[in-house]
Order: sequence, then C-alpha cells, then structure tokens
Amino acid sequence: MFGIGLPTIVGGLTWSALLSLMGIGITLLYRTTKVPNFAHASFVTTGVYASFTLSLLGFHPYWGILAGFILTGLEALLLFYSILEPLRRRKSSVFILMIGTLAFDILFYGILNIYADYLQTVFKASARAVYLAPKDFSIMGIPGIMFMSLGMLVISVLGLYLLLNRTTVGIALKACMENTALAQTIGVNVSLMLMLSWFIAGGIAGISGALLPMYIETSPDIGVLLVAEMFCVSILGGLEQVYGAPLGGFLMGFAEVVLTSWLASEVGPWIISYTPLLPLGAMALTLIFIPKGLATIKIRRREG
Amino acid sequence: MSVWSDIILFTVDLLALFGVYLIINISLNIQRGFAGIPNFGLMFAIAGGAYITGAVATRLALVMLGMHTNLDPIFDNIPVLSKVDPLLQSQSLTSIALMIILLIIGAIFGAILGLIQLGPAIRLREDYLAITLLAFAEMINVIAVAYKPFIGGITGVQVPDVFAWSGEYRFYIATAAILVVAAISYVYAEFLGRSPLGRTMKAIRENEVAAMALGKNLVKYRAIAMVIGSAFCGMAGVLWTLYGDTVTPTYHRFYWTFLPWLMVLLGGLGNNKGALLGTLVFTVLDKLIIYYKHSLAGMLPFDVVWLDQVLLGLITAIILIYRPQGLLEEKPYVPKELEAKLKSIEKK
Repeated sequence: MFGIGLPTIVGGLTWSALLSLMGIGITLLYRTTKVPNFAHASFVTTGVYASFTLSLLGFHPYWGILAGFILTGLEALLLFYSILEPLRRRKSSVFILMIGTLAFDILFYGILNIYADYLQTVFKASARAVYLAPKDFSIMGIPGIMFMSLGMLVISVLGLYLLLNRTTVGIALKACMENTALAQTIGVNVSLMLMLSWFIAGGIAGISGALLPMYIETSPDIGVLLVAEMFCVSILGGLEQVYGAPLGGFLMGFAEVVLTSWLASEVGPWIISYTPLLPLGAMALTLIFIPKGLATIKIRRREG
Repeated sequence: MSVWSDIILFTVDLLALFGVYLIINISLNIQRGFAGIPNFGLMFAIAGGAYITGAVATRLALVMLGMHTNLDPIFDNIPVLSKVDPLLQSQSLTSIALMIILLIIGAIFGAILGLIQLGPAIRLREDYLAITLLAFAEMINVIAVAYKPFIGGITGVQVPDVFAWSGEYRFYIATAAILVVAAISYVYAEFLGRSPLGRTMKAIRENEVAAMALGKNLVKYRAIAMVIGSAFCGMAGVLWTLYGDTVTPTYHRFYWTFLPWLMVLLGGLGNNKGALLGTLVFTVLDKLIIYYKHSLAGMLPFDVVWLDQVLLGLITAIILIYRPQGLLEEKPYVPKELEAKLKSIEKK
C-alpha cells in the first residue's frame, strides 16, 4: 500500500508511543507548575542509562522500565525540592522557573556524561552508543518494543486517568491544575500535589527513556537532541490538555516515520535529511493557527 | 620568556572569546533586558551570520580580487582558497574591506533571520515564545547539514583568511577586530538604553498594558529590538568564523544560547555593565577551567569537560535562588531635563 511496508508502520507506532510518553510529562508539568520543563531532556537520558546499567548487570533491559520510573521520578523530586520550591517560595516568575529547570538539565547532562565515561572506562561498555534492540523479543516477526511502548503508553494514560478522576488525591491534583490559589484555600496541600506531579511526570519520562535504546541508538546527548521535539509534541497536542500529548505524539511519530519514508520513495531519499524540520515546522504552524493545540479544536467548534 | 608568551597567548585567546560573547550578550540584553523578548533562539542569528560567511566569503573574495575560476568555491573549497589566500595576504586593504562587507552582510542576514524567527511568535506568551524561538533556531543546523551547496554539509568550509596580512600578529589583529565591534555594540547599547526608543522598550517590558494604553505598538517595538539584537548576533557569528578561519554546521544551543543567557543572568539583566561583568567573569572562569583541565586529566575516570557543565548548572541555580537580580542591579535611567523637572516638583 503506497509503498509503505509493515516495518515502517511498526516503526511509526513505536516512535509515536515513545514521543507521546515524553510529551505527557511536559504537558502534566505545564498544567501543574506552569513551567515548560527543560530538564525533561536529562529525565529521558536517565531512563536510558537505567536500562543500560541493568542490562550490563545481566538483567533484561525491560527491567529498566521499573528502575527508570523510580530513578527518574526521584530525579524530578530532586529538581523540585532543590530548585523549584525555593524559587516558588521567592515568587519567581515562570520564566525564572524555566531557567531553573534548564540549569538542572545542564547539571545532569554533565553528571550523565560522567557516568557514561565511568561505565566506559570501568565496565569497558560502549556507553556512548547504547543500542539494546538485539536483546529484544519478537512476536511473529514484530519487535517487542512496539508492544512494550504502546503498552506503557496505555498504562500511563489509563493510570493518569484513573488517578485524576477516581481518587481523592487525583481530584486535589486536578484542582491545583485549574486554580492553585483556590485549591490552597479549600485546604489542598499544593506543595505535596506539585511534588506528586513531578514524580509522575519524571517517572513517565524515565519509562520512555528506558524503552528508547530498544528502538534507536542512544548516547548521553539523546535527551538534548530530542528535547525540542518533546516540546513540539506537547504543544501540538495542546499544553492545556493532559491527554493532548498522545495526539501530538502520534501525529508527529507518523509524520516523521511513515510520511518521510513515503516521501523518500516518491520524491527521493535526499528528503530524509530534512526530517528534523517536520516537528519544528509543525510546531510553528500549530502556534500560529491553533495556539492552544490540537486537543482544543473540538471545544472551539462548540463555542462557535 | 615562555611564561610570558604563554600568558599573552592565554589573554589574547580569552579576549577573543570575551569579545564575541560580549557582542552576543549585549544583543541579548537589548532583546530580553530592554524589550523583554525571551530569546531562547539566539543561536539562529549567530549561526546565520557564521554560515552566511561560509557561503559567500570565498565568492566575494574572488570577485574583489578580480579572479576567475571554474572551480566551485564550496565543493572545491581548498583548491580555490589555495589561490585566494596568498593573494589576499598581500592586500591588506582588500582584506579589511572584505571583512567589513562580510560584517554588513552578516548583520543584515541576522536581522532578517530575527524577523523570520519572531514573525509567527510575536503575539505569544513568554514561555511559548521562548520555546518557539528555540525550535526555530534548531532549523538552521538541519538545513546547513542537509543542503550541501550552502556550506558544504557536515564537514563545513574554510573561509578566506582576512587577517593573513598581519603575519605573525594574525591572532592579535583578529582579536582587536572582535574587540572593536564589541566596543561599538556596547556604546550603542548604552546609547539605546537612554534613548526614547530604549525607554519605550523598557516601558513595554515593565507593563505591557500600560504601554499599550499610552499608544505604544508592542509588536513594532519588539520587532525593532529583535532586529537590532539579531543584527549584532549575526556580526558575532561572522567574527567568530573569520577568527577561526572555518565554519561547520555544528553551532549548538548550549554554547550559543544557554551560555549567553547564563552570563547575562550572572551579570544582571537589563544593564549593559552587568552584561559586561557577567561575560568577563564567565569567560575567565571558563578559560581557567580549560587551562587547568590538563593537570586533572588522567586522575579521574572521566573526561574533565563534563565538570564544566556540572559547575555551570550549579552556579546558575545558586544565582537564581540567592541573587536573582545578578551581580549588578539595573538602575533606572532618568534623563537630565526630566530630573530637573522632578526636582522642581519635589521642591513645590
């Protein structure tokens, strides 16, 4: 069909799910703390090294999903308590908070690089080109990463949905998203709720990072390379809607993998080197025409 | 003797870096400090200036020297330059003219890029704006790598050495050229900060609604600040390329966006003295770290470069939390005639 094979579709699905997992956290944090989190780059990279370390120790890399979730969640808590809470107490502007996350990201970029160097010299592992796909399982020729990434996405979205709609804590968290001051007046512990959102968002980013080396080759730079794209996914889906990120993720993932491979077969392979322009261009267009993201289109129509 | 030449080399190297970053930081100060534009895509105009130099410098040198060749100045870069460079070396005036023309081209190209970058985003909120500008800046590297006729793809190109005429003093002259442009941009920014234009920008930064009520066109003033700032950034890119004599599409947002931000925050937003101080403190620290790195190398199981990042992140976080106004605080500028008026009102 249109010269698109099954591997391309599988790749498109996998990449979409991974991008969605990265985008969810950014959207969630934007909703709760109102800050575009630049540290998502190092959150994802931390997930990568969680599963790489486990695979060095002889575990199956998919154990990294659990380790990545916990480790990165804790990393997000560290960012929250060491930088964001002090800044928030000083009533710093959102912009300063954003630079705070950037500072944390630079710090952890250094730490992760040191760790990768350490693995390289001590374990003699190729820690600067992490590719774990050979360890993946497959079902009927389809690599396991597709099932795992889609599964993790479903679990994350479903978990988030249940948390936000079926539990008291989640409803308090939702109240914080809608109106922080008002939530505080009715006795919600805002600081605790923010902490929770950072742990969850960081954890989900860690999951995506842990899955990443099963699909592409990664390095300590991977987060930095992908962070602009993560924002694109999040903005495309709409920063106002927690569930918008998967929408943006699937659109972007399919555009990048399936559309590009179709274009390459129709127009010529030279077009592949321009692929990185896709998310950036899509984001620019979204911001011009539907600044609140795709997830808001329906609501707009109802108003009009 | 060798100690002295070491110190001189270190200083010249330091001053070149300092000069380039000063131009960029002054530009950021105009954009963010005066007009409140959170330009997280500074790299766009800087890389633009650098890449346009790579794209046109050799062609321009051929025209100015009256040379003809069938070779392509980008794909047959080295053979073409082997003919251009010796001739250019003997013509100091042509070299200087070439540099000035390149600076002008870089400034214009940078300004155009700034407008392109701001265009779709000008009405967005601060955080959205920052992300959009950042994303736009990423595009230039994609294009420079993918479109080979521009600057030869990932391997980049060499540019004619416009300082070759000064022989063994090449790096001194190149550094001096950077410092002259830096000084001009500093003086210009000081002038701008006191002018009605600069004061309008600051008024918009302080309170958009109040400024609008006074009939100020936000979009127009933001665009002006962006154009001025991006023109400076373009020139910084041109100078850095000419200094290093070569350009590759590897401009990274860490060095050309985040570091300038950290320097300006360190010095204090909104005042040029702060930008100057921040740049100085930062570049000296950076060069010292690089200088002493070799003595640490081998003792640790990792590359010492990464300690740079760890330190940088820590310093920034500490500044943000404990001294958010930076080393030097912005002082409001009151024009003399207004000062006299204010005093007479106070007396009454």
